Amino acid sequence: MSSRVCRTCGGSDIDVDQARGSAVCTGCGSVLEDNIIVSEVQFVEGSGGVSSAVGQFVSADGPVKAPLLGSGFHTGVGKESRAQTLQNGKRQIQQLGSQLQLNQHCLDTAFNFFKLVVSKHLTRGRRTEHVIAACLYLVCRTEGTPHMLLDLSDLLQVNVYILGKTFLLLARELCINAPAIDPCLYIPRFAHMLEFGDKNHEVSMTALRLVQRMKRDWMHTGRRPSGLCGAGKVVTMATATFMWLMTVPPPALLVAARMHKFRRSVKDVIGVVKVCQTTLRKRLTEFEDTPTSQLTIDEFMRVDLEQECDPPSFTAGQHKVKMQQLEQELARKLDEVEGEISCYKEEIETELEKSRPKLRGIYAAYAKEMDPEDEDVLSSPSDPEDKEGDDADLQAAAQRLTQDFLCQVIQEEGGRAPQEVETEGAGLPAQGASLASILGNASLGLQESFHTFNLPEPDQNPDEDPSPSGELDLEGIDDQEIDKYILNEKEVEVKTELWTKQNADYLKEQKEKEERITKEKEQGTYKEKKKKYKKREQIEAATAGEAIEKMLERKKISSKINYDVLRDLNQPAGSPASEPPGGAAAAPRKRLSRRRRKAGDANAELSAGATMMTKRFRRLISSTPRKKKAAPQVETAVVTETASEAVPEAPPAAVPGPAPAEAPPPVETEEEEEAAEEDCVSALRLVGDYGCEEEEVF
Amino acid sequence: MTGSEEEAKLGARRLARCLQKLGFKVRFSAFRVVNVLAVCSMPFAVHLVDFTKNNRPIASYEPELHPAATYRIKNLKATVQVFSTGSLTVTGPNVQSVASAVEHIYPLLYECQKPRCK
Repeated sequence: MSSRVCRTCGGSDIDVDQARGSAVCTGCGSVLEDNIIVSEVQFVEGSGGVSSAVGQFVSADGPVKAPLLGSGFHTGVGKESRAQTLQNGKRQIQQLGSQLQLNQHCLDTAFNFFKLVVSKHLTRGRRTEHVIAACLYLVCRTEGTPHMLLDLSDLLQVNVYILGKTFLLLARELCINAPAIDPCLYIPRFAHMLEFGDKNHEVSMTALRLVQRMKRDWMHTGRRPSGLCGAGKVVTMATATFMWLMTVPPPALLVAARMHKFRRSVKDVIGVVKVCQTTLRKRLTEFEDTPTSQLTIDEFMRVDLEQECDPPSFTAGQHKVKMQQLEQELARKLDEVEGEISCYKEEIETELEKSRPKLRGIYAAYAKEMDPEDEDVLSSPSDPEDKEGDDADLQAAAQRLTQDFLCQVIQEEGGRAPQEVETEGAGLPAQGASLASILGNASLGLQESFHTFNLPEPDQNPDEDPSPSGELDLEGIDDQEIDKYILNEKEVEVKTELWTKQNADYLKEQKEKEERITKEKEQGTYKEKKKKYKKREQIEAATAGEAIEKMLERKKISSKINYDVLRDLNQPAGSPASEPPGGAAAAPRKRLSRRRRKAGDANAELSAGATMMTKRFRRLISSTPRKKKAAPQVETAVVTETASEAVPEAPPAAVPGPAPAEAPPPVETEEEEEAAEEDCVSALRLVGDYGCEEEEVF
Repeated sequence: MTGSEEEAKLGARRLARCLQKLGFKVRFSAFRVVNVLAVCSMPFAVHLVDFTKNNRPIASYEPELHPAATYRIKNLKATVQVFSTGSLTVTGPNVQSVASAVEHIYPLLYECQKPRCK
């Protein structure tokens, strides 16, 4: 309790008498508080002279008889429902837990988790049974019981991934580290289910050894734990012969079972272990690859191989990498060989050329035409002696070839500006000019003409939208290629047929729905299905106060809330901590009006204050739009405020009351804020009058 | 590293061009890369249980649900899924964050590696 200051004399020596329930200033003798709440036990004499304590017994878990009036409605109304939730949760936990054969300690722990979850409001928006299952699984993990998430999902008929999601979320929110599962945990359980009878233990131990072996051989990381054990357990219909056992190297319980000459069908084991056949067979083959599989039974029991293996997918990956490397080497070697061959080829040809009789004159042109290696000749003239003679021929050939190429290009590009191209092509000097450059120029020309239709350069910042209108920039897109993707008529028909066939059911459903709606419309019984609510646009506000304002503007939630007060709640907290009692007086009056009670109450002072307050309040209401004030303004007004506060206190007349209220608006708001701040301090004042419990703490 | 944000945009434009050719009215604006998915592979295998133990609570490994350990880097807003073979898949809001995520996680994986035996 903060030491209060007497408002009449300013003395801080207050005497609080618990017995009488009053607070009196020892300086001036003025009574500050009357009817303080006392936490003492009272006794009442009942019939027959029996004295009993006054009060009600309230249990921590059970429902509360009467909701606490007005004290933070949250706890008041919520208590009953909270207790109900917990009760319900406890019941479900017991039910589910007993199905899993969990002991009472685990169930209690699970209930504790559930209580934590509820207190953190994590149950909202989730089915209780999911939450319960997650709590139970959390317990299983921390205690290390051989229960899998799959079991829980089986019991609840819920997708295991949904349960997993809830479980992960709870583990994260409750900051609980669930230790990783060891597959060895499951062996005894599965072994029991496979009913090995007397030899149950032996089979389990063998299987355990095998699983540990597999662990070291890396089969277990990254695999579902049950798969591993399951592989161990798959026992195909084994013949009794020992030799057969040796030729089919089986992992874990499979081996174990066979070792001990048990017969279990694949289906039995799959049912127990919850993995599919393919997975089990895969594990078996993987184990086959490990060196351990080569050991005999006795050797295995005695010796543990030192060598450890990599995980199977890792080895597969390595295998692939090796293959790629080999291929690359092969390709390289091929290139080398090819290179050598082509060298020889060239040498032979040059020799042949030299030895061949040269054609001169008119025949030269034809020779050049027919010669398929024209391009090479053009680009790199072979013999220096023939160069001058060949020049003219080269030119002619070059020109003809360029024209041919250009014609082709024109056809490809779809006849865009052919004239341009031709003139360009003809204009180029044909002296040993490589066709590539010619072609390059031609295509550039085409591209330029193309670009005139299009948009500005893509050299701009790629993040920027090059055209605000949303036009599609065609830079860098090969139209030819795009055309290839588009199906032609026939293909379209085929595809349409295929699609309609595939989606026949859906289309039928849609048609039926349409018919139903039209029929109902005709009948007039068509009910508009509940529309999904549009996502409300986010309120953008700089401060919390603004946000409250905007929210209030948008919707008036309830008639029981005093919106004006809400608005002021967020006024700066910079007001001084120790409020003068004058301010304290204002508060109860405010409270009064907030509660919408009439002023005609016992306490004369209060009633007098009430009339003053109502007037003041009316003033305040009228000045509502002027409420938003800057913080510094408010703070400076505090000092003046305290003075003005003191004034209305003494005379019960209403006149001086409004007078200070007429002071500049900041003062008013300050007063209200102070009043709001003062709530904590002066709340107790009201207690006596209205019999309400104020739990606000200073 | 194949693929970049530019290439993605080019691909999107090609698709829009395709639609345009089919006769639809096409508008292409405000292209934004929202998510990038990358895969890479370590030259070593990783022991996931140790990795998860060393990096709790950022890393999470539930073999019953998914064979990989998930490591979420908060400041980069990137998620790395680590498989026991040493392969990783990285998802992030852009190519840069993905690259940084790989650099970030490499030393952590290196500590928990399993040496090659064969």
